[in-house]
Amino acid sequence: MLFNSLSFVVFLIIILALYYSKLFNWTGKKRMLLFASYIFYGLWNPPLVILLWISTIVDWITGKKLAIEENKRKRILWLMLSMFVNLGFLGFFKYRDFLLDNFTTVLNTYGYGYQSTQMDIILPMGISFYTFQTMSYTIDMYLKRTERAKTFLDFALYVTFFPQLVAGPIVRAQDLITQFYEEKRATVNQFIWGFFLLTLGIFQKVVMADTLLSDTVDKVYSSDKILNFWDAWMGTLAFSGQIFFDFAGYSTCAIGIALMLGIILPDNFKYPYASLGFSDLWKRWHITLSSWLRDYLYIPLGGNRYGVVRMYSALMITMLLGGLWHGAAWTFIVWGGLHGTYLILERLQRQYIPFKITKWNGIFLAFTTFTCINITWVFFRAREFKTAWNLISSMFYFNPNGEKVLGSFDILKVGIIIGLLFLCHWFMRNTSVKAVSKKISPIALAVVWAVMLFLVTIAQGSGEQFIYFQF
Amino acid sequence: MDLKKTFIVTAILSIVAIGIWEYFWRSKGVYPTLDDNEALWAMQRYRVEKAPSYNMLLMGSSRVLFDIQLDEWEAEIGIRPIQLASVGSSPLPIFHDVVANTSFTGTIIVGVTPGLFFSTTSPDAQPWQWPQSKVDYYKKRTYAQISNHLLSLPLQKNLAFISDDQGIDGIKLKELVGKINIGNRVVDPMPPFHEFGEIAEDRNLKMKQITVTDTAYANSVIKVWQFFMKGAASGPPPDKNSTIDFFLNDLKVFEARGGQVILIRCPSSGSLRAGENMGIPRAAFWDDLVKQANVPSYHFEDYDNLKGLICPEESHLSAEDAQYFTTELVKIMKNDNTLINLKSNKHAL
Repeated sequence: MLFNSLSFVVFLIIILALYYSKLFNWTGKKRMLLFASYIFYGLWNPPLVILLWISTIVDWITGKKLAIEENKRKRILWLMLSMFVNLGFLGFFKYRDFLLDNFTTVLNTYGYGYQSTQMDIILPMGISFYTFQTMSYTIDMYLKRTERAKTFLDFALYVTFFPQLVAGPIVRAQDLITQFYEEKRATVNQFIWGFFLLTLGIFQKVVMADTLLSDTVDKVYSSDKILNFWDAWMGTLAFSGQIFFDFAGYSTCAIGIALMLGIILPDNFKYPYASLGFSDLWKRWHITLSSWLRDYLYIPLGGNRYGVVRMYSALMITMLLGGLWHGAAWTFIVWGGLHGTYLILERLQRQYIPFKITKWNGIFLAFTTFTCINITWVFFRAREFKTAWNLISSMFYFNPNGEKVLGSFDILKVGIIIGLLFLCHWFMRNTSVKAVSKKISPIALAVVWAVMLFLVTIAQGSGEQFIYFQF
Repeated sequence: MDLKKTFIVTAILSIVAIGIWEYFWRSKGVYPTLDDNEALWAMQRYRVEKAPSYNMLLMGSSRVLFDIQLDEWEAEIGIRPIQLASVGSSPLPIFHDVVANTSFTGTIIVGVTPGLFFSTTSPDAQPWQWPQSKVDYYKKRTYAQISNHLLSLPLQKNLAFISDDQGIDGIKLKELVGKINIGNRVVDPMPPFHEFGEIAEDRNLKMKQITVTDTAYANSVIKVWQFFMKGAASGPPPDKNSTIDFFLNDLKVFEARGGQVILIRCPSSGSLRAGENMGIPRAAFWDDLVKQANVPSYHFEDYDNLKGLICPEESHLSAEDAQYFTTELVKIMKNDNTLINLKSNKHAL
C-alpha cells in the first residue's frame, strides 16, 4: 500500500480509530497494529508476507538464544543463522539474476558458451530495509549492545511496524522496541504535528517529485540521443530533486504517521544538499542507512583503527556495498565507488590542505559538494553505462551541439525549483521544520499547510510508487 | 505552539480552496467523468474469467469503443458484451491474452482498424505496447490497486476536477504546468488533442456532443489523425504477414476449444478513409484477412444502411449514429445466425 493512495487514507483512518478507541488494551492495540502492518504489506503481494514471518521468527529465536547462550562458538553459529536467512533472502530475491548474469559473462569470456536461465523473480517490497533492521537486532544481541525484546509481539511489531516497513527509516531495536513496552498515545499537539508531517511528506512526493520533476527526468534519461549541455544538467538536477523529495517525503510521512500513534521515529534526512563535504552528506542523507553501514560494516572492517590503507579500504568497501544495497547493477556500484572516492579525497584534503570553513566559503563548499553529488546521481539514475557516459560527457560540455529535448520552461522550472531547494537546505541546515514553525504565527503555518493540501489535491497523484521501494 | 488553531484554519482554508477549484472548473464547462485507465479495463478483463460461453467480448481499437454501444447490443441480443477494446491499439495482444490465459469459449468480436490491426507485432511499438500494458497491469495488479480504483470511482463520478485527461483537456496540476510554454527551444509537432469521448464504468463509451456540434473541435481531432497518417506514411510499412499469422495462430487455438470469432470493420469517412484506401487498401488487407481467417466478417461498406454513416472527426461515430450502427449491425448478424439471440433462445442460457 502506498502512502499517496486512497486505500491508505481509509486504512489510516480505521487504524487511528481503532488505536484511540477503548476497544483494546495496550497489548490488543499492538496486536491490531501488527495485524494492520501485515495487511498493509499483504495488499501488495500476500504470499511475500511469509518472508516477513520467516525473518521475524528466525531473528526472534536467534535473539532469545543469544540472550542466554555464553558459548562463543554457539553464539557465532546463531548469529550466522540470522545472517544466512536474511542475506539469503536478499541474495536470492535481489541479487540472484545479477550474480548469474555476471557469472555467465565471465564463463563466456573464457569460451564456455554457458546459457543461464533468468527467473524474473519478483523483488519483495522493502526487503532491503526490513532485513537490515532485523539484522541490526541480532548483531546488537550478539555484541550485547541491546536487551532482548520482552515479548514476541513487541519484536514482530518492531520488524513489521507499517509506517517504516518498506522504506525506512531503518530503526535500531533499542530505539523502537522499548517504545512498545508502555502504552503510547499522541498528545493533541503531537497528533496534529504528525498530520502536518504526513501532509508535508505527501506534498514532497506527489507535487514536487511526481508532478514537477519526474517528467523532465524521464525525458532526459529515456533519450537515446547525445544531449545538449543544458538538457543533461537539467535532467540530472531534476533527478537530484526528485529522489530527495521522493525519499525524504516517504521518511517524513513515516515519521508523521508514527507520531500520530505516539511513536517517535528518528530523522532520516537533514537538508543534505547543503552538506559541507561528503562526511557531512552521509550524516544528512539517509541517516539511518549510513549509520547502519558505519556501525555494522565500516567499523567491523577496521574503521580508522588500523592505519590509513585499511581505513580507506574499509571506506571504499562500505560505499561499494552501500551502492549495491541500492540495486543489483554495476551502475549502483559505480555510484557507491564515486562516493567512496569522494570520501577518501576529502580525508586527504583535510590532512594535506586543511582550511577553516567560514560562512563565506561555506556556501561555495556546499555548492561544490552538491555539484559533485549530481555527477554521482547520473550513475544512480541511468539504466545503462552508455546513457550515463553520454550524459556525463554532455555535462562536461563535450557535446555542445547535442540534441535538445527540454523546452525553455522545463529548464526554467527545474532551475528555480532546484535553486530554491539548495537555498532552502542552506538556510535550514542548522535548524528544523519544527523549530521554524514555532517562530511563525499559527495562521501563517495554517496557510502554508493549506496550500500544500490544496496542491496535493489538485495534483491527483496517480499512486506512483516511491523510488526507494525498489531497493 | 497552538496547533489546534492552525489545524482548524488549515481545514477551513483547504475545504474553501478545493470548493472554489471545483466551482471554477464546472463554470468552465468541465463535468465529472471517468478515466479510461488500466484499472477500469482490468475490472472488465476480470469479468472474462467467469464469463459463460454465451457471453461476448469486444476487442479492437477506439472505433469499437465508440461505435459499439452496449445498451443497444443488449437490447437486440439479450446480453451485454464485455468491452475490452483499447484506444490506439492493435487487438492482437488482448486477443492473445484471452486465448492463452482464460478458458473463455464464447464469441469474440474483433474490430479491425487497418492502420492498427496490420501495424506490427513488435512489443516496443505503441499499438502493441498500449494494450499489452493493460494486460500486464491486469496480471500484476495488487489488492491495493483494486481498492484504490474502487475508492476513486465515487470521486471521479462526483468531482469535476478529478480527471486524468491529458494534453489540452488536462486539468490536474501536472497537465496545467505542462501547458506552459516559453519560446520554441523544442517544438512538439503533434497538434493539440481533445478527449472527445466519455466512458462509463462498464467501459461503454460515447462521443461527446461537442464533437458533433463544434466543427472547429472536430477539425482539431482530424488534424491529429492527419498527423498520424503522415507519420505512418514515413514510418515502417504495415506488417501484414506477421500480424495475420499471429492472429491466425490464436484463432486456431480459440476455435479448437469451441470459441467463435467475428471480424468487424467500423466506419471511417472523409480524408481518413481516403488515406486508408491508399495506404492499406481493403482488397489487399481486409479481404485477405477475412479469407485466411474464414470467420464471419462484416465490413460497413458492404451494407447500404451502414456505408453512408459520416464520422464527425472522420474516424468514430457520434453517440446517436453509434446506437444506430450497433442496432443495425446486430440485426444483420442475427439474420445471418452469427449471433444467438438470447432473448428468444432462453434455453441457450
